[in-house]
Amino acid sequence: MKRVVSVSLGSSRRDHKVKVALFGEEFEISRRGTDGNFDQAIALLQELDGKVDAIGLGGIDVYLYAGKTRYVVQDGLKLMQAVHKTPVVDGSGLKNTLERETVYFLRQNTDLLPPKTKVLMVSAVDRFGMAEAFTSLDCEVTYGDLIFSAGIPYPISTLEELEEIAHKTLPDMCQLPFHMLYPTGKKQEIQDEEKIKKFGHYYLEAQVIAGDFHLIRRYLPPLKGQTIVTNTTTTEDVAFLREKGAGHLVTTTPEFQGRSFGTNVIEAVMVALLQKPWPEITPEDYLNLLKQLDFKPRILKLN
Amino acid sequence: MAEHSEITASLRAFQEGYNKNKRLKKMNADWDRVVLVQANDIPSEHTLILRKGELTIQEGPPEKPDIKIISDSETLADMFYGDITPTQPYLNGTLKVLGTEDDVVRLDFISLMIWGE
Repeated sequence: MKRVVSVSLGSSRRDHKVKVALFGEEFEISRRGTDGNFDQAIALLQELDGKVDAIGLGGIDVYLYAGKTRYVVQDGLKLMQAVHKTPVVDGSGLKNTLERETVYFLRQNTDLLPPKTKVLMVSAVDRFGMAEAFTSLDCEVTYGDLIFSAGIPYPISTLEELEEIAHKTLPDMCQLPFHMLYPTGKKQEIQDEEKIKKFGHYYLEAQVIAGDFHLIRRYLPPLKGQTIVTNTTTTEDVAFLREKGAGHLVTTTPEFQGRSFGTNVIEAVMVALLQKPWPEITPEDYLNLLKQLDFKPRILKLN
Repeated sequence: MAEHSEITASLRAFQEGYNKNKRLKKMNADWDRVVLVQANDIPSEHTLILRKGELTIQEGPPEKPDIKIISDSETLADMFYGDITPTQPYLNGTLKVLGTEDDVVRLDFISLMIWGE
């Protein structure tokens, strides 16, 4: 049996373990949250190193992208460098393939994403592939990176402006402690009511709200049937979105026993299956494997 | 060690960079803050006032600052001239920014938007 573990800076309340068979091989996939405790995450990674088949890093990104430029989040890199023997991934490789495919899938197979759909991406630099896919399908996209990560009420409306601002700011901002830019630990369990009042209208102006679930959740106002495109949702998250009035939930990663795991987990599973060093794995490798595994987005009608 | 006048000049350069950036003014239209800039190695205090996106500077301390920026005179002058970004001195403790985390991120962002590559 192959063991894949996701070590997350997120809340331990979301911990989960499942067993699945893929290509006839049994996988034990588990998620272990460290409640935002960076040192605990490092210690857990060191403990798992060499003892499991692949590790995913959750609740944090190591690599952000804007255009062809890659920015390295220093806290994420420190976590990655704590592991020496076991392959370790942050999900960014898979995001670039799987999440693009999800957007194309929605256009081709559903009526949830017609041309000119108003899309709010709460953050795009952590899933630039998805951002490019929405834009390529003639959606009217608002990139909320400044709004939801820096508290600046400035909606970015083109990928070019996103790249320009990223080029000026990300090399330095990626050095800040990650918790200053993204909700970690207990912050993932509560909503920021003040910012919901201030920024909630951006959600209501959109038909589709896409991106990282913790960011979406933290600033989510009562909705009017909007579609949510995200990943890493638990049964409680689905109930939360239903209660808030979301119309559909689309998760980019497959469901295992009632929940969709993060891209870091699925990428770690794929790395364990591919048996290739991570730097040698190409987007085509992921795409081929996705086809063979018949991974499709999960679409749930909520209201 | 920089002199008080050098810090004043650096703040004027920062103000000029800020005020000619229309986009930055728009971004900060909602962010009214009074900021104390204080050197910890020479007697030097300035006040930055952000109101409706406009930035003004005064010599001397404010009555009631929302944010305090404290560092040695050299770091302050280098930072407001854009020779260094605030991130490194902030991370190594040379620069102290007393305010909410949101305010710290926002100040860093403003500085990078003015002086970033």
